[in-house]
Amino acid sequence: MKYLFKPFEKVSKNSRLLIIGVWVALVLIFWFVSSMGERHLFPSPKQVLTGFTELYNEGLVVHIGSSLLLCIKAILIAVIISLIVTYLSTIPVITPIAKTLSKLRYLPLTGISFYLAILISDARTMQVWVLVVFMTTYLTTSLLSMISSIPQEEFDHARSLQCNRWEVLWEVVVKGRIDHVIEVIRQNLAIVWMMLVTVESILVAAGGLGFLIKNSDKFMNHGRIIALQIVILLVGLSIDFVLDYLRKAFFRYSKI
Amino acid sequence: MNYSTHNTLLYVEKLSVAYGDKTVIKDINFVEKDVVRENNITGQVIAFVGRSGRGKSTLFRAMTGLIKPTTGKILIADTETDSENDAKEVHEGDIGFVDQKYTLFRNKTVYQALLFALRKKDISKEEKHTKIMSYLSDWGLEKVKDQYPCELSGGQRQRTAIIEQILCSGHYMVLDEPFSGLDVGNIEDVKNAFNLITSTHEFNTIIYSTHDIELAVELADSIYVIGYPTIDGKRTDYGTIVKHFDMKELNLAWKDFGLDHIEIVKQIKATMLNS
Repeated sequence: MKYLFKPFEKVSKNSRLLIIGVWVALVLIFWFVSSMGERHLFPSPKQVLTGFTELYNEGLVVHIGSSLLLCIKAILIAVIISLIVTYLSTIPVITPIAKTLSKLRYLPLTGISFYLAILISDARTMQVWVLVVFMTTYLTTSLLSMISSIPQEEFDHARSLQCNRWEVLWEVVVKGRIDHVIEVIRQNLAIVWMMLVTVESILVAAGGLGFLIKNSDKFMNHGRIIALQIVILLVGLSIDFVLDYLRKAFFRYSKI
Repeated sequence: MNYSTHNTLLYVEKLSVAYGDKTVIKDINFVEKDVVRENNITGQVIAFVGRSGRGKSTLFRAMTGLIKPTTGKILIADTETDSENDAKEVHEGDIGFVDQKYTLFRNKTVYQALLFALRKKDISKEEKHTKIMSYLSDWGLEKVKDQYPCELSGGQRQRTAIIEQILCSGHYMVLDEPFSGLDVGNIEDVKNAFNLITSTHEFNTIIYSTHDIELAVELADSIYVIGYPTIDGKRTDYGTIVKHFDMKELNLAWKDFGLDHIEIVKQIKATMLNS
């Protein structure tokens, strides 16, 4: 057992499962113990279960659908913008634009949403574009880093095969790194998911998981809040799993 | 062994490459001609040896048109014209280049990569397929034709990279340290590959660098030592050709490795240590 506490030690599959099992058990025990008695920080498992039932009866599935739709719309637009900017960033004239877009990730949300509110009247469109603006800056940053990590040998190899510069861009960067783009989307998806509560509170009528959590927060319904946190986490992890699965299934050569 | 030299195949004059203030190579001059032997198709095998950091890779990148020389010119025989002695300046893609890592397109299988290399050739789809399959068979890659680079062994990657360049480029191929990190079997594979290339066409010319001096002496018919020259008693910090061993003139080319070859190895090592 001593070896389980040694850095860089390789462990068997069974030992790994045992470690995970012990940690899950510890979390559950902590949850049960900390939610007992009159005064407690976390709601009891029973309260959370009640929260789940209430949420389901209030149309949790529809709200999940609404959040997913919002996310997919925003991601699609953001990915298209980021990819165009990033691929074109290999052209010297466009490079500063791409780099500036990447730096804009340090801008605060309030300022951006203020100007977006002036430009966009429809609240649902507003939600989408707030997410698009933020997602684009993060995606562009990751995609620029993806391009800069391509070894010079790959460009030279394409050039030695009589590829002109546009062919090099197409073969090495665009076609040669599609799997990396999926990985970048997967890693940045957490940002959209994290901003869900803020963005969905802009338009209450459209519903969504963010709206539900805001609503539960207002009435201090702890059971519902934790139940929603669990739902948001599970939906996020599911999308993460699906994207990872798609990358491995469609791109056999992808070993990221 | 009887031989004669004909058309100039490679002409390098006053070549220098500098990055900003730093001159990497300077005053590189050499000429290589088509070597002709009776009843024998003989391609050219040219080796460049020298200690690390002397500019071999930079010279190769310049020779393959991947970087623009600061001064000088590199001419190769223009084999596409009717005239025998036409020459042209080197551009990207004129000379095949296989780097140390045997880089391939990571998203193309062996077959797809070779098909891509043939994309500019004016032949039918069926002819392309036949040509690719013939190469795959000759080079022992038939079984891995649908595998991606990450699924190939080092030797298979290297052979794929060489065939890719043969199919795409003309008669010239530059290989940067093709023997580094290879086991005995793979070294034999590369030697066989050299033989295959040079026995296919008179003009086929292999230019390679290596740290294995014995292999340079065994395989090459022309060896150039790149090093820092000593001028007026002071060693400079740019690379240039410090010595040339013409193995043909020395009557050592195309022969089994023997005592005379060992003597050349000693001389090359001494030259390298002093430059």
